[in-house]
Amino acid sequence: MAGVTLKNVVKRFGSVQVIHGASLEVEDGEFVVFVGPSGCGKSTLLRIVAGLEDASEGEIEIDGMLVNDVEPADRGIAMVFQSYALYPHMTVEQNLSFGLRMNGNPREDTNRRVQKAAEILRINELMKRRPKQLSGGQRQRVAIGRAIVREPEVFLFDEPLSNLDAELRVQMRVEIARLHSELGTTMIYVTHDQTEAMTLADKIVVLRDGKIEQVGKPLDLYDDPANQFVAGFMGSPKMNFMEASVKSASNGSATVKLVNQGGAMITLPVSDGPAVGDRVTVGVRPEHFRAAGQGDCDIDLNIDVAEHLGSTSYIYANTKSGEQLIVEREESRSEVGLEKLTASIPAQQAFLFDAQGKRLN
Amino acid sequence: MRARNRIAYGFLAPYLLIFAVFWIWPIIYSFYLSFLSTRAVPWTWAPHMNWGRLWIDPAFWNALRNTLVILFIQVPVMIALATLLAVLLNSQLLKARGIMRFAFFAPVVVGEVAYAAVFRLMFNADFGVINKILTGVGLPAVSWFSNPTAAMALIIMAVTWRWVGYNAIIILAGLQSIPDDVYEAATLDKVSKTKQFFFITLPLLRPIILVCVVLSVIGTMQLFAEPFLITNRGGPGGATETLGLFLYRQGFTVLNFGYASAVAYTIAGLAIIISLINFWLGRDPK
Repeated sequence: MAGVTLKNVVKRFGSVQVIHGASLEVEDGEFVVFVGPSGCGKSTLLRIVAGLEDASEGEIEIDGMLVNDVEPADRGIAMVFQSYALYPHMTVEQNLSFGLRMNGNPREDTNRRVQKAAEILRINELMKRRPKQLSGGQRQRVAIGRAIVREPEVFLFDEPLSNLDAELRVQMRVEIARLHSELGTTMIYVTHDQTEAMTLADKIVVLRDGKIEQVGKPLDLYDDPANQFVAGFMGSPKMNFMEASVKSASNGSATVKLVNQGGAMITLPVSDGPAVGDRVTVGVRPEHFRAAGQGDCDIDLNIDVAEHLGSTSYIYANTKSGEQLIVEREESRSEVGLEKLTASIPAQQAFLFDAQGKRLN
Repeated sequence: MRARNRIAYGFLAPYLLIFAVFWIWPIIYSFYLSFLSTRAVPWTWAPHMNWGRLWIDPAFWNALRNTLVILFIQVPVMIALATLLAVLLNSQLLKARGIMRFAFFAPVVVGEVAYAAVFRLMFNADFGVINKILTGVGLPAVSWFSNPTAAMALIIMAVTWRWVGYNAIIILAGLQSIPDDVYEAATLDKVSKTKQFFFITLPLLRPIILVCVVLSVIGTMQLFAEPFLITNRGGPGGATETLGLFLYRQGFTVLNFGYASAVAYTIAGLAIIISLINFWLGRDPK
């Protein structure tokens, strides 16, 4: 088992720089998820760790060893690809054993490893089948099996679940979590799905435009995002952002006017004082809205669509000036069919960001 | 028949008529001809004559042997070269790939007579560039057009030159359909490039290579232009006379259409049998 360290990793494709000095520490046995919108460089960063791409600058260490010039196969890693990348002309068994056979691994050991992987993933019955005779979920298991057989120090997953349907995705997510607790191996997992990130990770790395925006435990990122991007990315439904301008600012608090909420005012605690007149953004998670009068600032909303899920409901509502907000409510049968809603923002749970998206409170 | 179908067939009629007259009828009629004695007018019914003659005609066996020699040497060599060429044309390291691909495909577009003339000049025993090169590096000059073995080699080289690029382009299409991440997975599995070629690329290309082999077999069974134009009608002394050429000689020089028809059916039959054997050998192992 091994940890992974990235030091100021830069990647350029020709003149285009896609990774801008990424530094990161992955502890031994940790499950780390790289998450971010498509094109943020998360897959590239993973491929740099794998050795499928060279870093233009910076250092990559695996188990304390500098591996920049080490061949991918000698880095002690195994990778699961988004498209599974199974060898289409080989049976499942051959797929699993191919790498070992090609490298002259003793037959008995190969068989033992293949058998063990098949048991862990419960694919014993599929061993004689070809990839095209398997379902998406089964293919994914085989792809993971091929990684397990290598007995790697570090597992790399590149969006492994994105080709599966929603139900299978949940099922495989649980499987991968189980695998991690069974093997205890370091895993780095790339996804654009923040739910996957939240549910799987010991540590999440949020990337945007080739830069690491924040690193932390899932709930820490959720509760304490470093900036507006992370706040918006983590959580489903998304955090609501409301335009505002600073009316007054004193030591430790600022009063802002919500521009699109009919001029409603709210006073928020701030650590980094904005100046009067600054454009700012107030962020409120859907579940943090309270009933009218129970928060610090009431806003009137016209309900656009209401999704009643049984235990909870998501209200998609518009303010007078057309800004859409999502409000989560504890399900109340009496609210079905309602057209208007007054929600209240609790100052203690609201976030404040400056025009550049930097967190102010 | 519904009115709609009648109209549809009405529109198809001109084509079907031409197809029937110039395709279907000759196929049927030549089969009938193969049972006639056509050596003298009037043609007479002699069902055993042409088919029986095939078994004992040394000229036919010579043509068959020549055709099979070309087939069994030229097709494997060409397909191997085409596969290698396709891999090179697919390489990221290659500059001006578009131009290179066109250059190797170009011989197919060149007229047969023009290319035959160029080959005759290049391989001319006295002043051809090939013999100049051979003697230049200290090898003896080769009598390309009077030595039977050399003439056969010349035909094989010419056919290979003409069709290798064409097959390479087909195989290239197959190569490009193999996803990159399969190779990346193999790289992570510590499988060398050479092993990747033999254990991943070749097996995945098998169906497409099989198509190329079958097309080449059919083409070679009908080989005509090269021995006719380059080695001067199958020379020297019939050493490069192929079945196609033999058929032509029987039909249009001797005007023995019955025998020529029997030869034509033999060529088609052999092409089908050899192709089926190829498909059988190259079937998906289960």
